[in-house]
Order: sequence, then C-alpha cells, then structure tokens
Amino acid sequence: MIEERIRSTKRAVIPYVTAGLPDLDTTGDILDVLAAGGAAAIEIGIPFSDPVADGPVLQRASYLALKAGFRMCKLMERLGSWSARVSVPLVIMTYINPLMRKGLEDSLTALRDAGVQGVIIPDLPVDAGGIFDHCSRIGLDLVRLVAPTTKRARAREILSRCSGFVYAVSVKGVTGQRTSLPEGIDAQVASIRELTTLPVCVGFGVSRAGQVDELLGFADGVIVGSHLMQEVMSGTDPVERARDAFARLMNGSR
Amino acid sequence: MKGYFGEFGGQYVPETLLPALEELEEAMLQAFADDAFSAELQAYLSDYVGRPTPLTHALRLSAHYGCDVWLKREDLTHTGSHKINNAIGQILLARRMGKRRVIAETGAGQHGVATATVCALFGMECRVYMGSTDMARQRVNVERMRLLGAEVSPVESGGATLKEATSEAIRDWIANVDTTYYLIGSAIGPHPYPTLVRELQAVIGREAKAQFETLAGGLPDAVVACVGGGSNAIGIFSAFLDEASVELFGVEAYGEGNGRHGASINFGYPGVLHGTRSMLLQDKDGQVCETHSVAAGLDYPGVGPEHSHLAATKRASYRLVTDEQALAAFRLLGRLEGIVPALESAHAIAFLEQYSRQNSGRRVLVNLSGRGDKDVHTVFGGAA
Ligand SMILES: Cc1ncc(COP(=O)(O)O)c(C=O)c1O
Repeated sequence: MIEERIRSTKRAVIPYVTAGLPDLDTTGDILDVLAAGGAAAIEIGIPFSDPVADGPVLQRASYLALKAGFRMCKLMERLGSWSARVSVPLVIMTYINPLMRKGLEDSLTALRDAGVQGVIIPDLPVDAGGIFDHCSRIGLDLVRLVAPTTKRARAREILSRCSGFVYAVSVKGVTGQRTSLPEGIDAQVASIRELTTLPVCVGFGVSRAGQVDELLGFADGVIVGSHLMQEVMSGTDPVERARDAFARLMNGSR
Repeated sequence: MKGYFGEFGGQYVPETLLPALEELEEAMLQAFADDAFSAELQAYLSDYVGRPTPLTHALRLSAHYGCDVWLKREDLTHTGSHKINNAIGQILLARRMGKRRVIAETGAGQHGVATATVCALFGMECRVYMGSTDMARQRVNVERMRLLGAEVSPVESGGATLKEATSEAIRDWIANVDTTYYLIGSAIGPHPYPTLVRELQAVIGREAKAQFETLAGGLPDAVVACVGGGSNAIGIFSAFLDEASVELFGVEAYGEGNGRHGASINFGYPGVLHGTRSMLLQDKDGQVCETHSVAAGLDYPGVGPEHSHLAATKRASYRLVTDEQALAAFRLLGRLEGIVPALESAHAIAFLEQYSRQNSGRRVLVNLSGRGDKDVHTVFGGAA
C-alpha cells in the first residue's frame, strides 16, 4: 500500500510530525491539512526522551511533547480514528525503547490493528531479522534506513528485510535542516536501486522546495521533518504553519 | 549471539554508526592478539599511570566495621581514578586506527579528565561533552580538562547530566564518524564497548587478586565496587567471576530514595539506551527517567549489560546506598584512614555498614575507584 502510494504520487513528499505537540488534537488537525495538501504518506513520530539520531529541532519537539504530557495509551486511542479518517498511509517513526516496553511484537501488532501501515525504527538491533519476519506476518511495512556509510553487503542484508520503501539517509549526521544537499546523494540512491525494486526516499536535512525538486530527479520520494516541526513550534497557529510550509514544498521552486 | 551477555547487550544504533563499530571490533581483536600492543599498554600503565596501584589493609576501618577491609587504591593512579586505565588503552587503539580526533562523555569529570590527559599525551584533538548540571558540581574537573587542552561542551538538554552528555557524544560521532574516535568511559554502549572497557579495566582485578593472595593469603570472601555504568566494578569482578566462593557486590546509588536515585538494576526494567539493551530506569511508556545521585558518576539511568546479566544469573548482587550514607562514608574514610574517596567510591565503602552486620570477621576487598578532591566543595558547599 505505501509502496504503490509513493509510486502513484507525482510529487511524493512525506512529512514527519511529532505526535502530541502541542497536543494530540492539534496533531490530528495537522495530519488533515498535510493529507489535503497532497502528502504521499505521513510519518508520525512517537516522542522519546533520548533521541540520539535527532538534531536540535526534533530533540526539542520530542522534549516539548513529553513535557506537554504525551502518553502512549492516548496516542493508541487516537491512531485508529486518524487512520480511518486520513486518506494517506500513516507510518510510525520512533526509537525502539518505547515499543519494547510492553513487548516489541505486541506493540507492532497494536499499531497494525490501529491502521498504521508501516514503522521506521532508527535504532533497530543490528540483526533485525526476527522483527522483520513479525512485521511481514502481520502485514506491517518495516521501512529500513540505509546510511552513506553502509557497505554494500550490509545494504543487501538490510534491503532483503525491508518493505514499503527504503529510507536513504542523505548525510552522515543527525536529523536537521541543511542549506545544501550533500554531494553524491544521487550516486547513493543509484547504488541502492541496484539492490532493490522498492521505492527509494531520501530524508535528513531537506527544507526547501528546490531541494525537493532536485531529489525527485532521481529519488522516488522525499521526507521532510525538522523543517516542518520548526514551523510547527514557532508560532501560535501550528496547523496553519504546517499547512503553509508543506504547500511551499509541494509547489516546487518554480 | 555476538555482543550479548545473556539477553543483554547488542548493537542498537543508527545505521550510520554500524561500520564504525565493526571497524572498532576488528581493531580491538587485533590489538588484544598483538603482543606489541600488550607491551605498549603495559609500559604506559606502569610508567605513566603508576600501576600497579597498592592494596591497602584498612586497619582502623576494619576495626570500625568489625570485618577485614582491603582497599584497592585506584585513587592513586595518575588523574586520580580508574578511568585512566580505560582511557590509555583506548587511545592506543585510536592511534592504531589512525584517528586524530577524540570525543568523550563525562559525568563526574573523571573520565573527561582521563581522556583529556591521554589526548594531550598523544597530541590528539579532544572534545568532552558534559551536562551543565555536572559542570557546576564538578567544576574543578572542568578546569582541569580545559587546562589539558580539551574543549568541554556543555549539554543543556533534559537533566543535563551523564545521560544527555552521552547522547550528545553519540550525535557528534554520527556526524564525524570518519575522523573521530568515540572514547566511551564506562562498560556501556553498543558492542564492542562493554567488552573493550572490561578488558581494559580487568587490570584492577588481576592486580588485586595477586596482591590479596600475597598480603592476606587466599581469596577474599567478598568483592565490593560502586556501579555507575559499571566499569570499575566489572574490572575488579572479572578476576573473581570464576571463584565461586567469592561474593560479588555492586553498589548502586539510591540517591534520596523514593524515585530519586540511579539504581537501574534494583528498580529498572530491560530496555535500550545508548546502543545497548540492559536494565534501565524508565516509565511505563519506555521514556527514560531522570536520575539523581550526589555522585555525578553514578547519576545514570542505565548500566553496563554484563552487570544486568550477572544480576539475572545471580552471580553478583546489587545493593543500595543513599546519598546520606555515602556522604557519611566519605567523611569516615578520611577520619579513619586518611583517604578522601570520590563520592562514587564512598558508596562502596558505605555498603560495609550493611555487609558487616551479617558478616563480621569476613575479608572484604573494596575497589576504591577514585579520590575525592573533586567532591570536597560538594560536600562542604552543599552544591549537590
Ligand atoms: C571515581 C569514580 N568511580 C566510579 C565511577 C562510576 O563509573 P563506573 O561505574 O563505570 O566505574 C566514576 C564515574 O565517573 C568515578 O569517577
């Protein structure tokens, strides 16, 4: 489902939203405007106390969401209605610990039951085979990340246990906005394509429509996180800000 | 499975770091199999660090507690704590790997000082991440690090202690993985770090076992060490793991009790933090808890995976000492033995109060992991 959706979307931009910032009602409203704005899929971030793969913006988003009282059980209550209402695939992105606390497999199954279509976990254990098998069994996509440092043999191993799409991490570094795209990202995407038929989406550091244009020249989709959350956190009208920022990305640079 | 101690350990890291961990593991295995590396390490340990450290028979403390107390004097190493054993070993490894830039996290500042020291010794660039809370309470060590040429980066997020400093060091490593060596300070983190740090701290146990045999004869009845991440404890335990008659006690920081502590094994649940699966202080949602200890080096919600395994298999027991008890032991050791321990190490001393009640006359080996100069103003100034 995610795979087809990305393929069939002309300008496949996948926004990331930290859940519960400033509250879950607002998150629901943001999902609505992003879906209406043409998102190919939406990543919902479950905040975590120690987000080691995230730069300052998403760290702050996590911190503020937790401070505002984010609770897993409240999110689980909402997810079902969100996935029924929002017409685009919802993908959960979070660190492994919040999912492991009540048993990883049970948590993944609960997400599937709530209508979530995929998960992205940046700190999966090196041998994630068993987790992938569980996801396949229950019909949940396990999106895997491939880094610029990933060697070919490892990439092959990852891609043989990946579904939905491939998340190509564009930079050596944590999440965050960057002014220019790293050199060699097109070659990185090309080398991933040699190993998989899944759509390849690029994330980490994208903040401008021009970057989206450029990336979509060779990638199937683009993920935008920090830039949107920066907007969401910088005013009293987070829903409008998310809508406008996403519209600017969707409209292209021309 | 590779890198696991029972169900604990592993490598739970962002993909970017995985090749670096593989490279490190390979370098570690090669170094440990290389006599030239062992000889070089041995030379630095004896001529620079000042090893072997003495084993002191603490006669007045023994009389006080009614059991026979022997202190392994890591406080007498260069820089004043066991952290230097690990730092010197890892810097030699970093050099073999051709790295020029070193990063580290620090809590009490002892690991930061040890890292800054070995970086100065080998002319390497050094950046130390330290929570701003810890920078305030361990100010002396911040100044020492800067004096040694290290850059100390304050970390403001969360509780601004060791947990946040470690996260920030990992972020730096992700961004600079090609050029940078991450010199982790305790037996925590993803494989191979818990093994690497244990092997480098094992010198404490090897020496202490031989010294005890010579000075006291036979084996101690119990070995005691404080546990933050668990490096000094695993270092001294390692020599006694196969000696079934020797009881092993790790002492966790019980802080102010009641939810304000750092006792991961006693009160935690299995979880993943900083790349390893181990006992972790966390809430029902898997959010990691803020911790508290008067000893900055014990103020950490996780613990090395091997300790979780030793606890699960009951080979070692993990006991609790409060801030107040540690502060009392800090003073006691000064008065009775003329030794001012680090507040971390004072936790191990304070445990003797509990131990001696049921074990009078027994022979106890305590790892005195560091000296307390850094803590004097906390104890007198109430800065904690
Ligand atoms: C003197 C001393 N002892 C113990 C510790 C705790 O660390 P570990 O449990 O790794 O030995 C520290 C940490 O900073 C320390 O400085």
